[in-house]
Amino acid sequence: MTGPISRWWSSIAFRQALIYGTLVVFTMIVLLIIIYEQTVGTWQRRIDRQLETTTQRLLEYYDKSGAAALAPHIEGLLGDGIDSDTEVYTLIAADGRKLAGNLTVTPDITTPTASIAERFVQRAGRPSHSRLRVTRLRDGALLIVGRDMQDQLELDALVRHASLWGAVVTVLMAVSGALLFRRQLERRIAAIRRTAVEIERGDLAQRVPISSQEDEFARLSRDINAMLDRIHGLMEGVRHVSNTIAHNIRTPLSRILARLYTAQGASDPSAALPAAVETAITEIQDLNVVFEKLLRIAEVESGARRQTFSAVSLNAVAMNALELYDALAEAKGLALTHSLDGDPTTAGDGDLLANAVANLIDNAIKYTPSGGRVHLETHREGASVSITVYDNGRGIPEDELERVGARFYRLDRAIPGWGLGLASVRAIARLHGGTLQLLDAQPGLLARLVLPALSDS
Amino acid sequence: MRRCLIIDDDADNADFVARGLRELGWAVTVCHDALDAVGRAVDQTWDVIILDRMLPNEVDGLLMLKTLRAIGRRTPVLILSALSSTDERVRGLKAGCDDYLTKPFAFSELAARIEALMRRTQPEEGARELRVADMKVDLIARRVERSGRVIPLQPREFRLLAYLLVHQGRTVTRTMLLEAVWDYRFDPQTNVIDVHISRLRNKIDKDAAIPLIHTVRGVGYTLSADGPQRASTR
Repeated sequence: MTGPISRWWSSIAFRQALIYGTLVVFTMIVLLIIIYEQTVGTWQRRIDRQLETTTQRLLEYYDKSGAAALAPHIEGLLGDGIDSDTEVYTLIAADGRKLAGNLTVTPDITTPTASIAERFVQRAGRPSHSRLRVTRLRDGALLIVGRDMQDQLELDALVRHASLWGAVVTVLMAVSGALLFRRQLERRIAAIRRTAVEIERGDLAQRVPISSQEDEFARLSRDINAMLDRIHGLMEGVRHVSNTIAHNIRTPLSRILARLYTAQGASDPSAALPAAVETAITEIQDLNVVFEKLLRIAEVESGARRQTFSAVSLNAVAMNALELYDALAEAKGLALTHSLDGDPTTAGDGDLLANAVANLIDNAIKYTPSGGRVHLETHREGASVSITVYDNGRGIPEDELERVGARFYRLDRAIPGWGLGLASVRAIARLHGGTLQLLDAQPGLLARLVLPALSDS
Repeated sequence: MRRCLIIDDDADNADFVARGLRELGWAVTVCHDALDAVGRAVDQTWDVIILDRMLPNEVDGLLMLKTLRAIGRRTPVLILSALSSTDERVRGLKAGCDDYLTKPFAFSELAARIEALMRRTQPEEGARELRVADMKVDLIARRVERSGRVIPLQPREFRLLAYLLVHQGRTVTRTMLLEAVWDYRFDPQTNVIDVHISRLRNKIDKDAAIPLIHTVRGVGYTLSADGPQRASTR
């Protein structure tokens, strides 16, 4: 099924609005029924009560003054000019003779009724729709008290008419409201969809325009934009990484090629080749190391190793690292000291944490001049444990603290390295749900690996 | 003559390894076909099998290794693979390989690891005391004597010496030392091991008539009374 109806129906906004409109119409109908009942119904009941009391009064009069006095009394009531266009009184004798009153006698009205009934009668010679109370008197005569309902009928018709129009208008408004609501909603969603299409086409810089109203859509748009910012940032990161990787791989590759070509083209290649081959081997081995480190970081970042986490004692990690680096520190004339807290334990990968700590100590030793000090400290505080490496070396300038730890970022190109150490420490920290803090130790650097403590349970 | 079976679909790499091992005095058979390889591995006796993870016809070397182990062959197997993640390494070890080396690799590293495997498969003598030249090492009491003089060593230094001693006459690489002595499964890339060795050397070989610990250039170290042999080539 196609066409506008099915198209509208496929819109959730239209459906919602229509359902809501239907509810409004239904409410209106209930409301009109109540109003009708309260106005027309109440009036009718009041008329009925009046008829009862009038009948009662006339019966009392009949008891007191006798049958003969009733006919003139009724004539008097009809002639008093009060309610003369609506009142109905008729007294019919037992033999069917009309004694007094303004109704034309028809067989229809001569049967007494238990309650008030509505009849078509001839009142003062004109057809009338009246409510009648017919009472048989003791002498067999019939007393008819009634009221012409013409005005009541008119009111009734008026209310029905108004209700009908009201209902029609309500339905129309509900439908047009649904359409309007649908258009409104679709306009807001269209803005988001347009942005999505643009992004799909490759323009990742597009953002959802945020309307001035602080409504649900504005909030949704803001959330979507925040998500896009994050994706954009990640893409930029990936691009940056691929660029730096390309740079860091191509540079040594072109160096190797240049050396080999030079050796090949030398006047005596056999003399030049061994040295060129030697450097080529070293460079390729270095490249291999870079690859290995990058793969390791990628592996850590993938989070796959989280599956084999177990309890790791930071003190054991620290002691092992100290025993590995004490000789190097000693050879460089550095004091490698430590202070260990109770037993800080975390859930993690022992090899990776050892790798991270070794990296931090390695850095500290590298950047601290002879005579300096490198201090290792473990600590447990509340829900987190930490392992800190202090040094009193040259430290990292404040404005560089942010950038170190990015892949291939190197502070000092004179010191050998690949610029991947802190990047891998950061990745390892993230894998463990922790952070790597780099602070100015004044002088020197404070590198702290903060990790969630393993709960004692 | 020791026999080695190389199962690798990369002919260049296999020939490179084979040539190197032959120079070291091995009898080497190269096998490029997975089915042929299974037959040879089962039917003949080998001292070591070098196995590539990716074999032709989409055969995973691990499957072959599992088959070999399932029929009770205890031949030492060294896996050579470009798959370097820890996961893959663990899968290899679970399948029953004795060592796992990632491509690309230095031949010296491969040679040293094969030597170590040979050592491992030889029956342990349960030796309590080892002697090299004038050095006497009590493995239980952790006591080292050289020319009758007791040399005090820190526990880690002792482990280093013991590892060199157990592999005496063979080259051990820095990576092997890191794994065996410090339990580190990554390469810190600095000269940490070198300074440990030089410290140990200072204690063991200082004032001694014959130096025992030798550097094998570009590869690692060896402990031997006869000086560094040509343990491996690049």
